[in-house]
Amino acid sequence: MIGHVDADCFYVSAERVRHRHLRDWPVGVLGNHGACIIAKSYEMKAAGVTTGMPIWEAIPICPDGVYVKRDFRWYEVLSRKMLGVVKLASSRVEYYSVDESFFTASATAAVDDAADLQRAILSDVGVPVSVGIAPTKTLAKLISDSVKPFGYGAVVTRRDRQRLLEGLPVTEVTGIARRSAAKLAQHGITTCEQLAAADRAFVRWLLTKTGEELWWELNGTPVKPITTTRPEHKFVSRGGSIGRASRDRGRVTGFVVRNTERLIEALDHYGFACEQLTLELLFRNAPARAQRVSLHGGRYEPEVLRQAALWLLPRVWRPDSAQVNYMHVIAGRLTRRGQRQRSLFEAPVAKLSAVAAVQADINKLIGRFALRSGSTLPLTDVHSDPANSYDICDIHGKSCF
Amino acid sequence: MCKGISILKARIRQELFEEYELERRVYERSPGSELELHFMYTDKPSVCLPVEIDGQLVIMEWGNRQSRESKLPRTGWCRSDSLKAGKWRWLRPEPCVVPADMGHDKGVWFPINEGIRGIMVRDEQQQPHVYMLTADASVYYQNMTRHERMPVLVDQVI
Repeated sequence: MIGHVDADCFYVSAERVRHRHLRDWPVGVLGNHGACIIAKSYEMKAAGVTTGMPIWEAIPICPDGVYVKRDFRWYEVLSRKMLGVVKLASSRVEYYSVDESFFTASATAAVDDAADLQRAILSDVGVPVSVGIAPTKTLAKLISDSVKPFGYGAVVTRRDRQRLLEGLPVTEVTGIARRSAAKLAQHGITTCEQLAAADRAFVRWLLTKTGEELWWELNGTPVKPITTTRPEHKFVSRGGSIGRASRDRGRVTGFVVRNTERLIEALDHYGFACEQLTLELLFRNAPARAQRVSLHGGRYEPEVLRQAALWLLPRVWRPDSAQVNYMHVIAGRLTRRGQRQRSLFEAPVAKLSAVAAVQADINKLIGRFALRSGSTLPLTDVHSDPANSYDICDIHGKSCF
Repeated sequence: MCKGISILKARIRQELFEEYELERRVYERSPGSELELHFMYTDKPSVCLPVEIDGQLVIMEWGNRQSRESKLPRTGWCRSDSLKAGKWRWLRPEPCVVPADMGHDKGVWFPINEGIRGIMVRDEQQQPHVYMLTADASVYYQNMTRHERMPVLVDQVI
């Protein structure tokens, strides 16, 4: 059997651990720029506030709401503590996301185990969780979702499974997004029950291997194993919103360099070199643009990647009117540094590597981004806020985002 | 500008309740939740704030909202740059902290870890008044409240 632990409105619960008076109050956690709600308590949800809603829309419908600045460092502390409790209860645990994990569970006393784990996490960490136990990961996740908040349940018999899937929209299944749901709907399949009862070969034809795997899982046959180590990356990406949309070249350049430096850190962490670097700019009032550059032999040196990103910028820039609001810097065709095929024409970078090593040492001592490229000078406002130096993607080891 | 604060009722001594008629400030944000006291600059007839000074928690008048006769600046806030520039020196300001669990600015309630920095000055009758210190708002605070000034918080960055 497989168990799934999912924290109830995790960011809010994490804030309530350190600010106990926030319990029972409507609470919203604001995103990286302080404008949108990225998580809300059940009290705020009841008032009609939704995730992604701008704060100025939320205030009139929830005037008593308390709006909290996100703190991913603190969320990671509690996330790892939660993971520790799950690891005490099970020998095989997958750190799925910051607030979710899968674990192997015993076939007997599944419901009791779920209740025990829920109690242990609440008492040791202070975070309420929902727990589902089932023969497959997909069913376990569906169970824990359906018993929220602070519930637990198990799918043991065929009848349990039928009850769970009855009338449940297919979009509730992780892996079936809007496009797949639309394809299924064209064939009259809108619920999980209908999907599980459909012909397997047909589902494979319609939704490929991924769809077939979900079909097996919904029917109680496990095909998605618990992975205790993170699957190897195909890409590593850093970026996101740049806050207020801008067409100030200096500011956008600052963000490109900042995101490249964040990417370099991630590549260092995983020990990767990349043979491709892509820069994608998303504009508020124009279609997105992306361009990539090949880095022969696989590169990871900070100056090489910074220069590559800056070389790409004018090629994706729309200088006249478009305002940048999002960007992504993506490292692709990743190779382990020790295994890369070096190019015959690689320029010597010993001096630059020495500079990069000094930068890394200083930042390790003083703080992240303490010493950074001069191109990031227009982002003084971003760097002056310590909360900006740690993001959700800096929490390593999760198998999902 | 932060135009109001909330402090948990449990943090206020009972004697202060009687002395300053604080019971009317008690607020229950949602049924069964922890009780708070609200101190808003729009309160009538008078405005006040809890203040920690010399290790004591007391209640003081918040700035000078209504007295035209008083020499005190007719506001509830003090810009930290003007304080540094010495523009308040003639009032002999003393540093203090406004303890708070929540701040309120343009309709947004936000958590405060410890409190807001302030100054205490005395009027002609030697009555103490507290002014909240403010600074240029961070981008985050501006996005959150749409306000260009923010309170100076104790060991907290928003």
